[in-house]
Amino acid sequence: MLASISLIAFAMLAAVPLAARLGQRAGWLLALAPLAAFIHFLSQMPTVAGGDVITSTLAWVPALGVELAFRLDGLSLLFALLITGIGTLIVLYAGAYLSDHHHLGRFHAYLLGFMAAMLGLVLADDLIAMFVFWELTSVSSFLLIAFQHDKAESRRAALQALLITGGGGLALLAGLILLGNVGGSWQFSGLSGEAIAGHALYPAILTLVLIGAFTKSAQVPFHLWLPNAMAAPTPVSAYLHSATMVKAGVYLLARLNPALGGSTSWSTILITIGAATALVGAVLAIRQTDLKRVLAYTTVTVLGQLTMLLGTNTHYGLQAFTIYLVAHAFYKAALFMAVGAVDHATGTRQIALLGGLMRHMPLTGVAVALAAFSNAGLPPFFGFIAKEFKYAGLIELGLAGWITTAVMILTNALLLTAAGVVFLRTFLGKEGRYPHAPHEVSLPMWTGPMLLAVGGFVFGAFNNLAEVWLIDAAVQAVSRTAVPVNLYLWGGFTPALLASLLTVTLGVFFYLQRTRLRRRLSLWRVLWRVSGDRVWDRLLKRVFAFATRVADRFQHGSLRQHISWLVLAIAVCALIGMAASTADDLVWPEQTSPLNIAALLGCVLAVAGAAAAATMPGRVALVATLGASGLGMAMIFLAARAPDVAITQLMVETLTVIFLALVLRKLPPTRLVGSRNPAARRFHAIVAIVLGSVVSAMMLMTVSQPLPGDIAQWYLDNSLPAGKGANVVNVILVDFRALDTLGEILVVGLAGLAAAGLLAGSARAGGRPGSAGFDPADGARHPARAGSTPDCPEAFDGPASPTSQGSADFASVLLRQAILPLSGLLALVSLVLLWRGHNLPGGGFIGGLVAASATVLLALAFGVARARAVLRVSPVVMLAAGLALAAGAGVMGLVQGEAFLTGNWIFPGGLPLGTPLLFDVGVFLTVLGAVLHMLLRLIGQED
Amino acid sequence: MEIIVSITVGLLVAIGIWMLLDRGLLRVVLGIVVLGNGVNLAVFSAGRLDGRAAAFVTEAGAPALAANPLPQALVLTAIVIGFALFVFALAVLKRSWELHGNVETDRITAVAEEPAPDLPAPAQSVTPTSGVAAAPQAAGASPAPGVLPATPAAAKATRHGAAAGGQA
Repeated sequence: MLASISLIAFAMLAAVPLAARLGQRAGWLLALAPLAAFIHFLSQMPTVAGGDVITSTLAWVPALGVELAFRLDGLSLLFALLITGIGTLIVLYAGAYLSDHHHLGRFHAYLLGFMAAMLGLVLADDLIAMFVFWELTSVSSFLLIAFQHDKAESRRAALQALLITGGGGLALLAGLILLGNVGGSWQFSGLSGEAIAGHALYPAILTLVLIGAFTKSAQVPFHLWLPNAMAAPTPVSAYLHSATMVKAGVYLLARLNPALGGSTSWSTILITIGAATALVGAVLAIRQTDLKRVLAYTTVTVLGQLTMLLGTNTHYGLQAFTIYLVAHAFYKAALFMAVGAVDHATGTRQIALLGGLMRHMPLTGVAVALAAFSNAGLPPFFGFIAKEFKYAGLIELGLAGWITTAVMILTNALLLTAAGVVFLRTFLGKEGRYPHAPHEVSLPMWTGPMLLAVGGFVFGAFNNLAEVWLIDAAVQAVSRTAVPVNLYLWGGFTPALLASLLTVTLGVFFYLQRTRLRRRLSLWRVLWRVSGDRVWDRLLKRVFAFATRVADRFQHGSLRQHISWLVLAIAVCALIGMAASTADDLVWPEQTSPLNIAALLGCVLAVAGAAAAATMPGRVALVATLGASGLGMAMIFLAARAPDVAITQLMVETLTVIFLALVLRKLPPTRLVGSRNPAARRFHAIVAIVLGSVVSAMMLMTVSQPLPGDIAQWYLDNSLPAGKGANVVNVILVDFRALDTLGEILVVGLAGLAAAGLLAGSARAGGRPGSAGFDPADGARHPARAGSTPDCPEAFDGPASPTSQGSADFASVLLRQAILPLSGLLALVSLVLLWRGHNLPGGGFIGGLVAASATVLLALAFGVARARAVLRVSPVVMLAAGLALAAGAGVMGLVQGEAFLTGNWIFPGGLPLGTPLLFDVGVFLTVLGAVLHMLLRLIGQED
Repeated sequence: MEIIVSITVGLLVAIGIWMLLDRGLLRVVLGIVVLGNGVNLAVFSAGRLDGRAAAFVTEAGAPALAANPLPQALVLTAIVIGFALFVFALAVLKRSWELHGNVETDRITAVAEEPAPDLPAPAQSVTPTSGVAAAPQAAGASPAPGVLPATPAAAKATRHGAAAGGQA
């Protein structure tokens, strides 16, 4: 079953390229996928008809008990055959109908995507999986309705459909979650009806699920979206909005009948709403002048009738439900496709303009005739059996049944009228006035209607076929108890037969009096003023206006307000969390480690540096104080016995200062501190203090509890035997938690690439707009003292270009001569740090940062070109090589059949060499490459 | 010691947030650094600070009262990533100065924001025209006219690096 869904999904992906190549003929090829699925389901028919059920499962979220479970029983087989069978015909039809549309491939893709989603919906056994497919059908329906998106009415109809079905979907999700919790299982087949019926939440579940189903199946008052959805191209109307998608709600109700049904509230609600929908649909159908809208309203009627029948829960009622489902799908799809053919051939759908088409389009006419007879419920068509059983089912109910039977007779009569209009008025009678000369349509366009219409006849005449293979198993799946299924055309002079005769008489009467009927209906103008559509528009406008006002309040574009509110919200949540976790007040840590003078000094320095950076206005002050703050942090780390972290912090601080200094040369002097408005300053201060206090409180609370678990001890114990390293921190980084480190160097690499692109910038063209007091020749302002050496005569010719000569500030010959060996020494030290990192303080990160510092010295003193020459490879290549090496070190473990990043060691001559060391080299290269890429771009562009 | 470090963390976070709320974008970027420092210290001290020896093992086994190695490893990576983030923010700051000539937090949005490509020019006000079709369309237009630049022409001029007199 999953295979058929995947096949159709694959066809969806192939649709656009195929259509680009083959144009209209792609339809034939694409129709093979649903055809294959149809044949597959046909082959499953004997098993399912015999009473067995086929299931298949795929684990999805095992922790929540959610899995992708599929179940093929009678009801889902019925639907699956309808979806794939009619789908094949529709794909063919669409290829011919939209043959000259430039987005035909996209249309096919949407259609096949919908088909896959709908198939998943009916096959899904898991509640959540079914909901996912439910929403996917809503989304694909939106895309399909809005296909001709240059028309405003298509967009509006699509939005309306999406909002109504999507809103219902939300309610459905809530209902399904409650159902899963109450019913004891997350699968439809496992739900326990008694547990649900007796539970206190039953009314809530019922309401929510019914809202979801009713929005999808266009019951009153949610029926407005279905007639408006006729703005979609006809293949969409034929497939989604008559045969399959709108039936999804009814399918869900049928599927949940064993679990939720049986109570009086279920029956009452379903019968009432269904009857109301049927009446509204039938009455409105007569008023329409567009053939498609007539069919749309009759679909609403039929959906109402199906809901009614499901609510009756009687033997005949459930059989009628299933039979009518199939009969309606057949004839409605056929009628829609035929109407589309008429539209395609003649250019109009207005009933007033049509007539006498039979001699021009005989094949379509015959198909419409057969379908219309089934619609009208005349023997020996399948629709007739459906009608008989409908009446039989309702009459069984007693007094309430007689009232609803009356409603049913009325609506069926009106359906017959509508069928008459569609067939007699359009195809027979005098010739109409057509925009184009009518002609018979191509093969793909009349095959569909003909096959379906003939199918309606065959199922009716040879009803034993339908009974044995389809209906029996489906009815058993829907009903709460075993139901004897027996289809027949002639059952004797039952009340149902009398009702049928009455229906036919009434229907014919309405047809003959239809103009007078329409005039009488339009006199009830009072009712029509309360048009659901206009209410909808006003509602939507109000919702958008409200959304605008709310958005204006919160999306004002001010970064500072966003941060302030965010911080305050975080503080409030943290306070709530802290208050909820301990019953008493803030727990003060009793056992604290002894005071460490070095750490205390570090803390003071860190805070003092940060405070100074926050308040002092000068650029040099900013750089210096930030550096001091970082040094304070390094002191804390050292005092707390974390040498690796301390060295990393030191190196990062150094590079931070370098970057900051290089960038600050380009920015205007910073004189602004805080906000101009004193009230705003106070507010910001309060926000900052609040968060600071909350964080302090959280920290104090955390350290007052004993440290849970003993993972630290595990790492200490296993570092040497398993990780082959004495530096536990490094072993954690490159061996035990190497995957995290791999992700982290990936982030560093990406940030480096992104930042380098921005730092290079467009310094040449108009680089520094505005702001006084800023001289691009800043670097050359001190040539007199530093640059005047006989070794660099070029310095006299104007501002020294850092790209070729090194920054002018470094132009002292003493400095230059000293920097060369220093750089070399630093590079050597970085390699030593890399090598010894596994057992002593060091490692890839530290080594990379030290090597970067070495190269920066070279670049500042001698110019970027020289530095690049010394490096020999571009920093980007280094970055990429580092990432590849790190990932490759992990793949070696995969090759051995173990998990990714498992350490493999060899010991040539007692020296331990292994993949974690390779990983460390990768880290070294990545960090070096990223930092250098950014720095060299930054230095290199100032000239 | 934990008490002092907790208070330090709180102070660093407060100073960091104060800097994030500053009027000049440069201090906002530096505020990220300070905030990052504070958070790193918080994570580090959550592993408890009662270690007496660094986390280096020998053949004989782990030293008594060794420092907790796991938060050290986490903080090490956090420091490096924080550095990368800082440099990226600095690069964005530099670029927006070059393109728009403005580094004030409050004004940078108005100056730098481009109008949405599918909407009409932002100078027009949002008027719901009659007819049902326009209602979703008009409502789909931008909700906050104040956010969009008043003169897209001027924004474009600075973007394409016009002569040094170009101001937003």
